[in-house]
Amino acid sequence: MPITTTRRRLLAGSAAALAFPHLARAQGAAKPRLTAISQWSAGSDGAAITALGKKFEEKGGVWQHSPVPGFTTEMMNKLRAQIMAGDPPACSQLKGPEIAAWSKIAPTVNLDALVAAAGYEKVVAPDLAKLHKPGGKWIALPLQIYSTNMLFLSKRAMDKAKADKVPVTWADFNDLAERMKTGGVAFPIANGGTRPDDGQKFEAALAGISPLAYRAAIMNLEKKALEGPEIKAAFVQVRKIADWMDPNVGAQHFSTNLKRFIDGDMGMMIMGGWAQGVLRNAGFKLEDFMIAPGPSDNGKPVFLLNADAFIFWQRKEPDLQAGQTLMAQLVMDPAIQTMYSQITGSIPVRTDVDLSGEGWSEGQRTTAKALKDAIASNQAVLSMAHNMAQENGMTAAMIDVITEYVKNKTIKPEQAAMRLAEAVEGAR
Amino acid sequence: MSNAATMRPGRPALPEWVRRLPEYLMIWVPLLLSAAHLVSFSLWTIWISFTPSTLVPVTGWVGLRNYSAVAASRNWQIAFDNLLLFGSAFVLLSAVTGLILAILLDQRIRGENVLRSIFLYPLAVSFVVTGTVWSWLLNPGLGIQKLVHDLGWTTFKFDWLIDRDMAIWTIVIAAIWQSSGFAMALFLAGLRSVDSDIIKAAQIDGAGPVRTYRRIILPSLWPITITVVVIQLQFAISTFDLVRALTNGGPGIATQLPALVVYDLMFQRSLLGRGAAAAVLMLLILLAVLLPYAAWRYIQRRRAAHA
Repeated sequence: MPITTTRRRLLAGSAAALAFPHLARAQGAAKPRLTAISQWSAGSDGAAITALGKKFEEKGGVWQHSPVPGFTTEMMNKLRAQIMAGDPPACSQLKGPEIAAWSKIAPTVNLDALVAAAGYEKVVAPDLAKLHKPGGKWIALPLQIYSTNMLFLSKRAMDKAKADKVPVTWADFNDLAERMKTGGVAFPIANGGTRPDDGQKFEAALAGISPLAYRAAIMNLEKKALEGPEIKAAFVQVRKIADWMDPNVGAQHFSTNLKRFIDGDMGMMIMGGWAQGVLRNAGFKLEDFMIAPGPSDNGKPVFLLNADAFIFWQRKEPDLQAGQTLMAQLVMDPAIQTMYSQITGSIPVRTDVDLSGEGWSEGQRTTAKALKDAIASNQAVLSMAHNMAQENGMTAAMIDVITEYVKNKTIKPEQAAMRLAEAVEGAR
Repeated sequence: MSNAATMRPGRPALPEWVRRLPEYLMIWVPLLLSAAHLVSFSLWTIWISFTPSTLVPVTGWVGLRNYSAVAASRNWQIAFDNLLLFGSAFVLLSAVTGLILAILLDQRIRGENVLRSIFLYPLAVSFVVTGTVWSWLLNPGLGIQKLVHDLGWTTFKFDWLIDRDMAIWTIVIAAIWQSSGFAMALFLAGLRSVDSDIIKAAQIDGAGPVRTYRRIILPSLWPITITVVVIQLQFAISTFDLVRALTNGGPGIATQLPALVVYDLMFQRSLLGRGAAAAVLMLLILLAVLLPYAAWRYIQRRRAAHA
């Protein structure tokens, strides 16, 4: 037996040597090992990464994942400490523009050869790909995608409003909310009161009104766009949404109110695709609610991208390098992405995965189709509220203005638009 | 095996400093270690506050730019105003509540021990727990307002938690609940230490209980009052967990406090330099309270020594 193992290892080693000569020298016959940190410890996220670890072990690797539960920022504190100590994990969770920012403080692995070998670049949304190759080289790999502006509709609230059509534009949306209100739905909008919650309402409004203005103002921070009429219009829409919310939510998490949403006490929810997983985990049935792309005034879906990713940190140990190669191959593998998204309720990064089969929900199919259509019409943009459009500091400065506006109804839309432009200037 | 100590004729022959060595070690080593930690990290933070550090500490010099950025930010301004309001309201009200409780307990009532434990008990609860419990109690849809509505008084309104002008008072309420027992304990000790002969003398002179308290007992409490005020003030300045659990700085950013801003800048926005600048500003506010107190203590001691 030992002879076969050695032979297999030799084969694997030479295969890797052919594909990635720069790794092969150090690699030899080292058994792949991966040290990884992420915030995914419990629920569907924890289950998904554990499943990924199992696959890693099936391929002969040693999986050493240390989850840091809590907010992403707490995971980042651990990552920062490890990098400063000169001992970064072989691979860690990180996303959006933070990838570029963090890649400046420690050397990362060039994944170009692996990405080319997998033909990955062709099947990733262009805006998304850019985030993972700062300086033109792939150093991180996106794993799964959520849209932050999915529209969830409560079936019972729809019945109360005697409506069955999914709103397409913001005008339709406002109309439906009014009808729900008169039909006896206490609060036409279900929501939480956290900062990202408020940020999401704004980004959904602006991107739905004009994806072009969103790209210019929020993603590119163009001064003219930030002072443009679309920003004010978005704040007007946000105020409407705020007026339909339950003021008592305080700083609660959105999931606190899911039962009232399902019961028809609350009508619509603008939330990320992950809410589907939360609803399912909480025991609600798929027929109690509908999922549609968020309102878009030009009728074509707008997709606010939020994608989780892994970044790979340079290590000298041959076993860790072999582990990084194996991990990268797994993350790009359509079968692995299918497995992962089916657990978490997201959609795969690869646009060529077929979602028609068993194991996918109607909501996921809708989301995937929305992404495809949005890419085709250049309306797939990066989410601000979930730190995809800007680095944390800039995002926080913007959300300060938005969250204050949502909670303080004496602030006028034009005032808020001015403050937003000022906050961006201040945080630059 | 024989050792040197047992061969010596008697222990008293050891020099004084050797006999007291364990005591010195026990006191000075931890003291020096914690002082070194405190001082070195404070200096480190001050240094970082002058550098352009963002994600990780870097060297470089940006002068007072971090300070001006923090001072100009809306978050800090709101936090500072809130601190003034919260600090004065909380210190005043918790001292008054504590004093009233102490005076009531001082009437040689039965069950004093039980009552004292009950009033002191909140101090044993973590601020996160206090904050979370009060966030439920004060939530209009879940807590007190709903209870009163369910009892039949449907026009009753108590929604401070979600009212951005009143939300800071919910923190005052929770903080008073938590720490007025502490003020009570200190005041009670003070009340008990008033010389009973003086009180008797006052009673013989025909002073009623109100007058006795106003003219004799309360004036003798003022050193304790200052201690209570200073301790509560430094608590108020560094309040973090309570707000984090109760309102998390909301609604919007209406209940920001300096400690929240520091945390937010350092760990949420990854702006280490600015976060350090905010932390140093907090330290300065603390010093503004503690230095006069230290000076006052020093003068008191000098006076006592001269008397």
